[in-house]
Amino acid sequence: MAVPKATSEKGSGADAPMNRRRMLTWLSSVGLAGSAVLSAFSNFVFIKPRATYGQPQRFNIGKPEEYPSGTRISLDERRVCIVREGDKFAAISTTCTHLGCIVGIADTGFACPCHGSRFDQDGNVTGGPAPKALPWYKVSLAPNGEVEVDKDSEVEPGSYLNV
Amino acid sequence: MRLALAIASFVVLLVHGAVFYKQFFHKWENYQTGYFDQARTLAKTPAEKAALDARQPRVEQFIVTSFGDTRVDRCGTCHMAMDDPRFDKHAQPMRTHSYSAALGDGQVNGKWERRHKFADFGCTVCHDGQGRGLQAHYSHGEDHYWPDPLAGYVVQANWRKEFQPKLKGKEYMESNCAQCHTEEGFSGTTHVDRGRKLFFSNNCYGCHRIEGLSDGTQGPDLTEVGKKFKLDYLMESIVDPRANLATSFMPKFNLSDADVKDMVIFLKSRRGVNFAETSLQRYRAVLNAKRPADEAAKEPVLQGAALISQGEKLVTDRACTACHKLGARDGGVAPDLSFEGLLKEEAWVEEHFKNPRLSISDSIMPAFRFADADFKAMTAYLVSLKTAPAMTNGAESYKALCLRCHGEKGDGHGPIAWYLDPYPRDLTKAGFINSKSMERLTSSIKNGVAGTSMPAWGRTLNDTQAQAVLQYVFDTYTKEKRREVKPQKAPDKNPVAMSAESVSRGEAAFINRCAGCHGRKADGKGPNSPDILPRPRNLRNTAFVESVSDRRLFESILYGVQGSAMPSWIDYGLSQNDVGDLVNFVRSINQKSPVRSANARGN
Repeated sequence: MAVPKATSEKGSGADAPMNRRRMLTWLSSVGLAGSAVLSAFSNFVFIKPRATYGQPQRFNIGKPEEYPSGTRISLDERRVCIVREGDKFAAISTTCTHLGCIVGIADTGFACPCHGSRFDQDGNVTGGPAPKALPWYKVSLAPNGEVEVDKDSEVEPGSYLNV
Repeated sequence: MRLALAIASFVVLLVHGAVFYKQFFHKWENYQTGYFDQARTLAKTPAEKAALDARQPRVEQFIVTSFGDTRVDRCGTCHMAMDDPRFDKHAQPMRTHSYSAALGDGQVNGKWERRHKFADFGCTVCHDGQGRGLQAHYSHGEDHYWPDPLAGYVVQANWRKEFQPKLKGKEYMESNCAQCHTEEGFSGTTHVDRGRKLFFSNNCYGCHRIEGLSDGTQGPDLTEVGKKFKLDYLMESIVDPRANLATSFMPKFNLSDADVKDMVIFLKSRRGVNFAETSLQRYRAVLNAKRPADEAAKEPVLQGAALISQGEKLVTDRACTACHKLGARDGGVAPDLSFEGLLKEEAWVEEHFKNPRLSISDSIMPAFRFADADFKAMTAYLVSLKTAPAMTNGAESYKALCLRCHGEKGDGHGPIAWYLDPYPRDLTKAGFINSKSMERLTSSIKNGVAGTSMPAWGRTLNDTQAQAVLQYVFDTYTKEKRREVKPQKAPDKNPVAMSAESVSRGEAAFINRCAGCHGRKADGKGPNSPDILPRPRNLRNTAFVESVSDRRLFESILYGVQGSAMPSWIDYGLSQNDVGDLVNFVRSINQKSPVRSANARGN
């Protein structure tokens, strides 16, 4: 029994240790390189953490019945103006696109108290330093029957929710 | 070596991978995607579906500033469906928060509408728990360092096993309801109300202070107890007061499980802040509470029977029987008052009300702050109780009068014995009983023992009855045949004159010889005292020391006290003059300067 073993050792003796060594080197480098890649990737993820800052950007504003037709009401804490015309709902930002003041509701639309920017009923700029129109936010009906405004997703001006 | 490196590098990779997975693949993401999937199947319009498709998992949070500190409640990150009525049959964490009329929710057009909207109130204001947590373990407060685990839902692993099942149940959330709904009789806080009533009917108010409710000073202030302690600690402190503090003398009261639960809920609601009030309103309330009431002056001065019945009403209302026994009511903590008129004088009772520790220096009775007229009425009622219980022989007398303290077996472990300091005498110790003369034993029964809870039974028992009780004690408990008591050689009067030098010599000897048991302060609480029964005498118990003659002090020190740990000091080389110095020292620490005694009487 000892003889065949000895021959097998002898037969592979020339390159078997070499193979083993190479194999181990290869395995070690895969392990270390893998860790390095993972940690590098972790560092990149940490640059943009999974966090939510401040008040939720998607929120409910109550039942549609609470807003009679023709309503234009500014929710200052949420910085959004709720518009209802007939059965159509919309939410227009009340943050001035110039320097971020809260715009007020005027007869002609919106007016910024800080530098006199003016917007029409749909939020388009009609005067003053504001560079662009007030954005419209997505409005949908939440499962519990309340109107939900999502400030994370802007929509085309003129797109309404029908209730 | 290379093999080791290869293995090590793989271990490092695995650890790295595990950490990476834990950091970036959250359970809440799975919950959220699960919710999106289920909601998509329930969606009715393509627009709804598209909206759900567009949603990515993210941390959902409410930031609520209206209730005390700013609360950041991220509960909705896992409990996505809490405001989605389609999920009312699902398992947590994806179940709709229940609607209930008791919470003020109402139905409009057949659809439920919430009274307490999550966006306005958040979650932790009612439920407790750690709002910022994103892992169930932390956010539910299962981590035992978190002070407020989900009330009634989560018990922490380090809580005592026998309490764990008792601390579950939605009722415990009422303590949070009461943070805004402070009015009594509010339908949502019945347990808090009941707990408040129990706080008074069990005389907790006598010892504990709660701002605006009570002003006891013996026990800890409970104004903010709900903020400081968890439910398990509160329950433990009620059912087992000595569990946390071995020296606590808070009695164990006879409370049912339901009572304890309501007390815990009530105490948990004492957080020292009230969300319903602004700080200005709170300040005003404090100011108004401090305004002295001058109603007492207007009340007519009662006399005779009216005074007694007023006293009876007060004694009942103020829950004296939470501790004392009075007729059929028995708190099981303090002495029987059923025939107080036979035991005490009016002046004694009234003084004892005002300062319980004046006559019994280690009494645990709280000093109540009632009006003087109330004390008068209660005293009049108590001293009017002069009906002795029926007793025909010594055994019956013992049962009626002595058993409450000295116990059924006569070993001094009666039902209330633990609350008395000094302990009742162990009547089975023949060494003690038989070394005392008949005169002394009879005198203890008839005249009581000053400075202790042993009252003078002289007006309850006549001479033959007293003898019968004593004989009963000899026969039943002491059992040993009485032997003749030889008078010991001791001076009747301290031969060493009282002087500053004598007192300082006595003090030095006391520290050397006596402090081990009697304590450096001579208060009977020396380092050896917990192991000794009967306990070493408190030598600052002025009423007791004054009642004891020089001869008895000399006898006790020179020859020891049989049946106790007091050794015979004559064997340890104390001369009569040394003992004289000791006696002078003990006398001197009980002497009151005229100024102090005037103060004590003036209270």
